[in-house]
Amino acid sequence: MSVEAIRLEKVNVTFTQKEKQVNAVKDVTLSVEKGDIYGIVGYSGAGKSTLVRVINLLQKPTSGRVEVNGEVLFEKNSADEKIISAKKLRARRRKIGMIFQHFNLLNEQTVIQNVAFALKHSNLKEKNITIKAQKLLDLVGLSEKADAYPTQLSGGQQQRVAIARALANDPDILISDEGTSALDPKNTIQILDLLQKINKELGLTVVLITHEMDAVKRIANKIAVMEDGQIIERGDLISIFTNAKEKLTREFLGGGSTKAIATLKEYELGKLADDERLVQLIYMGSKVSEPILVKLYRDFNVEANIIYSNIEVLGKTPIGTLFVILKGTEDNRKKALDYLEKQEVIIKNIEEHEVQKNG
Amino acid sequence: MVELFAKYFPNVVAQGWTGDGGWLPAIGETLYMIFWPAIFGGILGLVFGVGLVLTDIDGISPNKTVFGIFDKIVSVFRAIPFIILLAFIAPVTNLIVGTQIGILGALVPLSLGLFPFYARQVQVALKSVDHGIIEAAQSVGATFWDIVFDVYLREARSELIRVTTVTLISLVGLTAMAGAIGAGGLGNMAISYGYGRFANDITFVATFLVLIIVLIIQLVGDFLAKVFNHKVV
Repeated sequence: MSVEAIRLEKVNVTFTQKEKQVNAVKDVTLSVEKGDIYGIVGYSGAGKSTLVRVINLLQKPTSGRVEVNGEVLFEKNSADEKIISAKKLRARRRKIGMIFQHFNLLNEQTVIQNVAFALKHSNLKEKNITIKAQKLLDLVGLSEKADAYPTQLSGGQQQRVAIARALANDPDILISDEGTSALDPKNTIQILDLLQKINKELGLTVVLITHEMDAVKRIANKIAVMEDGQIIERGDLISIFTNAKEKLTREFLGGGSTKAIATLKEYELGKLADDERLVQLIYMGSKVSEPILVKLYRDFNVEANIIYSNIEVLGKTPIGTLFVILKGTEDNRKKALDYLEKQEVIIKNIEEHEVQKNG
Repeated sequence: MVELFAKYFPNVVAQGWTGDGGWLPAIGETLYMIFWPAIFGGILGLVFGVGLVLTDIDGISPNKTVFGIFDKIVSVFRAIPFIILLAFIAPVTNLIVGTQIGILGALVPLSLGLFPFYARQVQVALKSVDHGIIEAAQSVGATFWDIVFDVYLREARSELIRVTTVTLISLVGLTAMAGAIGAGGLGNMAISYGYGRFANDITFVATFLVLIIVLIIQLVGDFLAKVFNHKVV
């Protein structure tokens, strides 16, 4: 039985700028389960940052309901507004860690002071605060930098300090607002792996907003795609990846079909004879053990001509995409496709006109 | 050397070190008129500057009314030319320090002349603190006062030192004008003894001493601003 860590219900956020109303978040309902690494993707301006700021009420919604760990932090329907007291809110915020694109460390305080700052109201004695801060720096691998100032560190190191600060009060939830977007690829991977480690070892629920699909593909188990203040598609990563419905989602996921079809179009690879059909085959590496294409020929007398192939790794699952032209009699092709389906290969028929240059 | 100085600066020497119109009392009066207004005007300016930032629309405690009041007070006092302010608030001065002339009578207008200038400078300095840092502090449950002291004032301390330097230097300028109400100091020396009696050498030396005070303030300020800045490596 899964437990909800975060539940947003019909959340709206409207900004009024110079008598113009901007609906940054429109009627969004979102449920994040405990232990999830939930990726929220979308272009900038889609409302992702505003949406996650609603979780710890850094952004107060215009209407809707915010529930964290079963407790209602905010609720407003029509004119009735309920919000927990300022003191309680501060206590709840300490249980929701947050990291930011530009790290947002206190530049005039040392690394360890930055972490200790988060522990100021923790009831720990000063000595124990130092011990705990040091432990957190150990966790993020920065213990020897305790007395350095943030600007003396690289971007990746600064983000580690920010993570240590976010974890200071033993939160249940960690929100990353474009946490890896200002980092180089190597640091990005290290930070993502650290987030994953925190998720696994400390059992934190992670909400990851990003415009970089690779970050989500690497660690998320669920994703939501946002456009224009709304969630247009959501689900677990692999099913979204293999079966995206929205054009924007496919654009973001890139890799797989969008790129393939563009390639086929460009080089006019999709020309078919009468006994040929173009299909896209999607398979999970762990599930396919047989040499399927060889079997197609041997058992069903269907030739498979690969014109495009690609492998992506989602979390730890490799997902392969093949565009193949199947050549054989209609009957044989059907048998072949039945066989593939039994092998848990996802099959999509691609019509010839879809891959024509002016199609 | 001494003879040479006496030859070219006869009036300066005639003024003497001590006594009425002496150089040491003049320097002392100038320092006195820098010190106390810097304390009173400084505290007032800091309170107004912090208040302006906190109650501003993007501050941590937005309040249109309070911001409006702060803003108007600062703007009005900033608009009054100092020399007129001296006369304008004379009754208030009398009420506070018991006299409206002399060095004591100069402290109130100097403080009030200084604070709006300093308040605006503090406002600009605090605005330089990245909003993201404040948001990060809020996300770990920082209180209002945590944000005022540990985030705003501490993060902007180097900028605060810098604007304090600028303010003190402009205060030196104001002390010279306070000479107009008989407050004494180096400004008075340059005007009354130097300019008034056609003793240009006195004006020259008084100006030189003012420049030295300004230079010392600038150097100390620059040094401290650098020591307390960890934002750039």
